[in-house]
This record gives sequence, structure tokens and C-alpha cells, in this order.
Amino acid sequence: MTALRLIAGRFGLAFVTLFIVSIIIFAMVEILPGDVASRILGQLATAENLEVLRAQLQLNDPAPKRYLNWLVGIFQGDLGNTLTNQRPVTEMLGPRLKNTAILSLVAFALYLPLALIPAAIQALNRDTVKDHALSILTLIILSTPDFLLGTILLFGFVVVIPILPAQSLVDHTSSFLEYARAIALPATTLALVMAFYAVRMLRDNLIEVLDAEYIRTAELNGLSRRSVLWRHALPNALIPTLNVTALNFSYLIGGVVIVEKVFSFPGFGRLLIDALLLRDIPLIEITILIAAAVYIAANLAADVISIVLNPRLRSS
Amino acid sequence: MDAQVQLRISGLSSYYGVWRRTPISFRVGAVILAIHIVAAATGPFWAPYGLAQMGAGMPLSGMSWAHPFGLDQMGRDVFSRVLHGGHIVIIMALSGTMLGAVLGSIVGLLSGYLGGWFDDVVMRIAEALISIPFLILGMLVISMAGSELAGQPVLVIFVVGFIYLPRFARMARAAALDVITRDFVMVARLRGEDPWSVVRRELLPNATGVLLVEFALRAGTAPVLIASLGFLGFGLRPPTPEWGVLIAENRPLIVVAPETVLGPGFVLASLVIGLNLWTEGLARILGRTARTNDQ
Repeated sequence: MTALRLIAGRFGLAFVTLFIVSIIIFAMVEILPGDVASRILGQLATAENLEVLRAQLQLNDPAPKRYLNWLVGIFQGDLGNTLTNQRPVTEMLGPRLKNTAILSLVAFALYLPLALIPAAIQALNRDTVKDHALSILTLIILSTPDFLLGTILLFGFVVVIPILPAQSLVDHTSSFLEYARAIALPATTLALVMAFYAVRMLRDNLIEVLDAEYIRTAELNGLSRRSVLWRHALPNALIPTLNVTALNFSYLIGGVVIVEKVFSFPGFGRLLIDALLLRDIPLIEITILIAAAVYIAANLAADVISIVLNPRLRSS
Repeated sequence: MDAQVQLRISGLSSYYGVWRRTPISFRVGAVILAIHIVAAATGPFWAPYGLAQMGAGMPLSGMSWAHPFGLDQMGRDVFSRVLHGGHIVIIMALSGTMLGAVLGSIVGLLSGYLGGWFDDVVMRIAEALISIPFLILGMLVISMAGSELAGQPVLVIFVVGFIYLPRFARMARAAALDVITRDFVMVARLRGEDPWSVVRRELLPNATGVLLVEFALRAGTAPVLIASLGFLGFGLRPPTPEWGVLIAENRPLIVVAPETVLGPGFVLASLVIGLNLWTEGLARILGRTARTNDQ
């Protein structure tokens, strides 16, 4: 029961946090000192243009009223029109979110083997040259900023070995193959960053499990080293890594912003950057709220996983 | 041998002994960082060309001894530009982190000491700010600061501080809660000291270790944050040779002159590797001394 109550508490806190985030976003975008309309249009704006924009954003209403309207709009699925091309925000968001969701799924599919294989090699060859070499590689990849890692991959697979397109442009008319080729590099970049973030922990967990009594028993029963690793050690070592994986998901939402920019992939991250560069207020507000919601959900998942896996809480 | 000389040698060798006993990652990191700091401090004086000097050679003529990172399409020497950018990256990273550390520590320690509704409100807001992925939060602030401030180093420093503030506040609050029940804090409170003086004289000295590691950690990620903002077009403006901006500027050249991208990229990555190693070592050293102090 304790665990259930704890989990319910975490859910409650997550919603409170999301609510405060929405206030912060709204405050930063619309109540910051200075006139919103002139901030969007810059110094060269005419009084007339400013008035039109003010009317469109309903800036003449008091701020609390505008905030409530915005919240109600979110729940009703009505997010208004974008400022730049006057299309419904929801219509802009839909395909972009879909693209990014596919990108994230592929990245996660690549992430698992990319994390498991080096960790398994390191754990089986503990303290040998292989182990140290992979540790150094982990450090180098983790220290390479993701925009640089993406650019290096781009250089490798577009310039040196030209097998992939330089720009990952896709739309609803793209074939499956085009999609796959477009997604390959951005997904690999994200997967590499996430994988090497988890490798060190996975390696240590594997070593700990491999030293356990039941593994020794399995070995003494004549099972091969490989079958001991895959059938007995790995499942037990993976459980603590679930937490890292959930946290990796929270990295992903920031990571897609950079990676989509590097590869010109038309996803949610690009939409967010463009909205911010063009100061398209309705689009900015909802994209940042979505990013924060994903982040909060990922952290909530990590919390719930560690509560569920904690035997002291589970048994009581 | 003269006694004084001997003394000096034994003094040196004891320093050397301390150095030998630090973790290997700390030593390697310190050497890499030292090279970076020396290059950043002196680079502008011995860089072969100016930070935006055109016509240093044939544009896009590739790598050579005279131009290790090649030349861009305007004939600017990329290696010289990297040298001119080093101190920008380091100064902005340090001052931004410092801003976040000072404000965050004050907020966090006060929040932990005062408790009650003040603590609740502050921590909820901090939690909410941390929930907006930091790069996105940074871009939001820069975008909303308006076009007059855009591209100003002060804005980028402020943004780094703003992003780190809630993170430092959370650490400082935890550290404050750790010592708040100790006798000396109680005594100070009973003496009638005001919260500000308790925070400054009793809590802060006890939180220094934790905050120092946090500072090293954040100062280590700040160059990447600043470079990422620059790369995405939210940081400094060209032709400022901040490394992220530089890499973004040269990226269209990657097919014809990859060295103009990979050169600055290598320098940026080596700085981060040095910072990561050094921080890991520092955390180990401080963790060890903290433990021996407790015993």
C-alpha cells in the first residue's frame, strides 16, 4: 500500500509541476516587462501593425483572462492560429509530432543494442585492454556535444561514404525507404548519446551480477559463458538500468531539437526552433508546454519504476 | 647541498607527492584544462591572423602547416579564429555558472533554513523550471528578450545563470537541510541572529563542498550549452568566433572543407573531455576528504 500511495503522490506532484510550468511559460511569453507586440515585430514596426497584432493576440484583455482562455483552449484542442501563416496550431503540430515520435522510437530501438553490446563486452573482459578502450570511447562520445556528434556522423555517411542524404526532408508523400534513409542518421545520433550515457552503469551492474552466487552455480552446472550472460545475468542487470532509460527519454526531448536542426528533419524540435526564431507566440507556448510535459512524464516514469522495483516498498 | 635549496626541493616534491596521489582522471583533466586556459589567455596575442581577418590565404585551400584548420570561404584562418574564441567560451561559461551558483545558493540555503510555505513555493517553482529542458528554456528566454538584446554576451551569461539557478538552489537546499538540525545552527538561531547571517555564517561553510562539486559540474556543461545556443542561432552572432557559432558558420562547407568544422569541433570536444575528467577526479577527491573528516 505504501508503494501505491507513493506513486499516487508522484502523479499529483507531476500535475502540480506541469501546472506551474504552464504559468511560467505564459508569464515569460506574455507578461515579461515590455510590450509583447513590439517585441515580436521589432523596432521598425508601425503603430498600425502593432495594433493589428495586439488585437489578434487579444493583448488588450487582462493577463489572467488570457491565461485562462489559453488553458481552456488546450483542453478543448483549440490552440488558435499561428502568427506567421495563420494556420491552426493543431494542424501544424500533428505531422511534426508524428515524425518526432517515429524518430524517437527508432532511436530507442537502436539504443538498446548500442548500450548492451559494449557493456557486455566490457563486463566479460573486465580490466583488460578491451574494457579500458571502450571506457575511453564512452568518455569521448559523452564529451562530444550532440550537434557535433551529428555533424561528424553527417560527414562520415554523407561525405566520406555517400550512402545517406544530407538533409532528412520527408513529408506525407515520402515512401518507406525514403523515411528510413532520412531517419537513419538523426536516430543514430540520439541513440549513441543515450546509449553511452547508460553503458557505464550497465557495465557495473553486469559485473556485480556476474559475481553473484547463482551465476557461479550456473557456470558450475556447465552452462557456457555466453548463455550465462544472456539468460541469467542480463535480465537481472537490466532492471536497475530501466531508471536510466526513463531518464534518457527526458534527454530525448531536448536532444531532438538539436538533432532535427542538424539534419533538417521536419519534426517537433524544428517547429520549436522556428517558432522561437519567428516569435510565433501561440506556437511557442504549446511546443514548450509539450516538451515540459514529456520531460515530466519521463521523470515520473523513472520515479515510479524505482518505487516499484524497491523491494522494501513492494513487500509492505 | 645548501639547506635552503633542500627545503625548497622537499617542498616541491611534497607538492609532487600530493599531485601523484590524486586520481589519474583528475591529473589528465587538469593537464588538458591547463593547455586550454593557457591557449585561451594567450591565444589572441600569438594567433597568426585576426579574428575576422579575410584574405589570410586561398579560401578553402585545405589543411596545411600555415592553416591547421584550413580557411573558410572568405579566406579567414579557422585556427586563428578558434584561438580568438577560447577566452569567450571560458569567460562566459564561468561567469554564467558563477551567477547561477551565487543566486541559486542564496535562494536554496534561505529556502531550506526558513522552511514553511516559502520553501514550498520556491521549490515548486525550481522544480517547474528544471522540468523545461534546459536548452529549450534558454532559447525561450533569449527569444523573449527581444531583438535589441539578441546576440549580446550579457544575455547569454544571464541565460546560463538563469538555467543553473534552480539546479544550484536544489543542491543548496538539500545541503542546508543536512546541517540545519545541528547544535551550532540552533545556537545561532537562539542567539537571535537573523536568517541572512545564519545562512552566511553557519550554513554556507558547511555546504561549500557540495556546491563546489556542483559548480565544477555545471561549469563543465556550460561550454556545451553556450555552444549549442550559438549553433542553433540563439547565442552570440557571427563573426564572433565562439566555437558553436563558428561550427554553425562553417557547416555548409563540410563537403569541400571538412577541416573547418572538424578542427573547431575537436577543440571544443577536447575542452569538454578535460572538464569531465577533472570534475570526476575532483568529486572523488572531495568525496574522499569529506569521508575522512567525518571519521
